[in-house]
Amino acid sequence: MIIKLERIEVQSRKDLEMIDITAELERVVAESGARNGIVLAMTTHTSSGLLVTEGIECLERDVLAHLERLAPKEPPEGSYGYWHNRYLDYDGRLGFNAGDHLKSILGGVNCFFPIENGKVVRGSRQRVYFVEYDGPLARTAFIQVIGEA
Amino acid sequence: MLLRGIDFHTHPLLVREMIARHPELARAAREVYFIGNNFQPLESFLLELDLAGLEKAVVLPMDATTARHETVYTNEQIAELCTLSPRLIGFASVDPHQPDAPDRLEAAVRGMGLHGLKLAPALQGFFPDDRLAYPVYERARALNIPILFHAGMSWEPGSRLQYGHPMRFENVAADFPGLRIVLAHLAWPWVVDAVALALKYPNLYLDTSALYFDNPRDFLRYAMCHQVPLTVFERSLRHQLLFGSNYPRVEIKNMARAVRGLGLSEDCLDLVFRTNAGKLLGSKA
Repeated sequence: MIIKLERIEVQSRKDLEMIDITAELERVVAESGARNGIVLAMTTHTSSGLLVTEGIECLERDVLAHLERLAPKEPPEGSYGYWHNRYLDYDGRLGFNAGDHLKSILGGVNCFFPIENGKVVRGSRQRVYFVEYDGPLARTAFIQVIGEA
Repeated sequence: MLLRGIDFHTHPLLVREMIARHPELARAAREVYFIGNNFQPLESFLLELDLAGLEKAVVLPMDATTARHETVYTNEQIAELCTLSPRLIGFASVDPHQPDAPDRLEAAVRGMGLHGLKLAPALQGFFPDDRLAYPVYERARALNIPILFHAGMSWEPGSRLQYGHPMRFENVAADFPGLRIVLAHLAWPWVVDAVALALKYPNLYLDTSALYFDNPRDFLRYAMCHQVPLTVFERSLRHQLLFGSNYPRVEIKNMARAVRGLGLSEDCLDLVFRTNAGKLLGSKA
């Protein structure tokens, strides 16, 4: 039985950004020695996400634009406010990124794929994205392989 | 993208490279400033500036040796941080309770290349108009450097709000007309008082780094459009208003967006983001 956990750091460079980490996922699987099993990935942050979609720029823009539309950074004026807009003593600052937390919930924070014959089994168009909703920040994600040699 | 302008109010509390060299800075960030965010590479700080369209940031230390037995970044550490990026403009801090504070300030400016002085009366435990601080003010004037004062509300447990009331700065502005002083955070909640001082004393500036409820957009709109009409800033204080974010309590990108969204004219915004800071900082800007 092989169980390997790897921590990776992702440096986002924008406020909203989709960062393709498919190669990282495949590297961790290849280095694990697992022939058959599963690989899981998760972000450790509640204002970022992990999701799987087709790897083309237009779609990346659509994903970010529509999540922003559904959960805007600033609440629409005169309609409602975010309860999160208050002082958080444990952070020493106000919480005003409720929209980014909500995007994280909507987009998801983890994904998994089967491993077969040492390869990640994924659709030909599927890519794995780390999604930044409140960058730029150095972020942490975990990739875990569980399988047999 | 052409980067222009300066964030006049940042605290380098999260810079991972400095924490690796000086581990005590991690504890100070948590226990003095109560900042809970993850530590970040300097690159994240610089990317924040990029995103806000700004070129440089003033980085601030705090010497609260007497009142708190704490120094959050020594002047030497600020100077060291500034060697990591030409986009950082270092300020000094000294403890006005210490008799050698003026000499320490001069050493930081002449010996370490720092460009201003940061004082936080509420954290450092002194009233701004207490004569004990006057030798420091006199030396700052002689060195021709600005003083950035924390003013108004203080979050830190144990700090007293009365130290930051803007009226306690009037004697300083009046007794040192050649000294340029900046009241941070619009001295909120006493914005009207702070504006009155700025209207009366041309050597007194205000920075925008205020956020105490809601979000940057709604808070600044309240403070700068309702507590005081925006026209006062646009017409009367356009040469005395500086952009400051208070990063990392507020992301630079969010505060910059809020200030740009207030409705100030483009030429006024250029003063606020660039020219006024340049006037205070001289060649470093």
